[in-house]
Amino acid sequence: MPSTQNNQALKRYSRRIGITMGFYCLFLVVAEIYFTHTHSSSVFAYMLALSPALPCILVFMTAIQYLSEEKDGFQSMLFNHSMLWGSAVTLSFSTIWGFLDNFLSLPHFQLYLLFPMFWATTGIAGAVLRLRYR
Amino acid sequence: MKNRIKVLRAERDWSQADLAQRLEVSRQSVNAVETGKYDPSLPLAFRIARLFNLKIEEIFIDEVIAGE
Repeated sequence: MPSTQNNQALKRYSRRIGITMGFYCLFLVVAEIYFTHTHSSSVFAYMLALSPALPCILVFMTAIQYLSEEKDGFQSMLFNHSMLWGSAVTLSFSTIWGFLDNFLSLPHFQLYLLFPMFWATTGIAGAVLRLRYR
Repeated sequence: MKNRIKVLRAERDWSQADLAQRLEVSRQSVNAVETGKYDPSLPLAFRIARLFNLKIEEIFIDEVIAGE
């Protein structure tokens, strides 16, 4: 992630991510508890099942907003490159797994795991890139 | 792109962090520009020029012209 002590865009980004992830945890816990005890296919059940996905989508919006607010071009470039690496790794993995699953009947990969995988690889790529420009 | 930022900074006894603070960018950004690993945006190049009270071409070296 970008690093500047007085970077206001970064501070806003971090705050927004913190709030969004807070809602993600809350929705996930509520959905887990509800579906552990209930087997329903009502409209409410659909909405509850979708609820953890909404903060995940908001995280991408937050990242786009950060890029539009970041005035330090170098930090934007690093963030863009990191996300490109994250996308490349995640899409490559899902494509490889998809073909293996299709032809060799591998266990199904839980698609919701692609989101943390993307951000984990983005984070690793960001750290590696930062080492390069240390 | 080669530049004279390190020399200009040393003349003023500024660290990379000092320069970064004056330019309102990260220290990493200053380091990347200074070492020629990253070409600054035009607004940043103007900010650097204003800070050192020089023209952009007096700080950044056009390697095509320099090679002629």
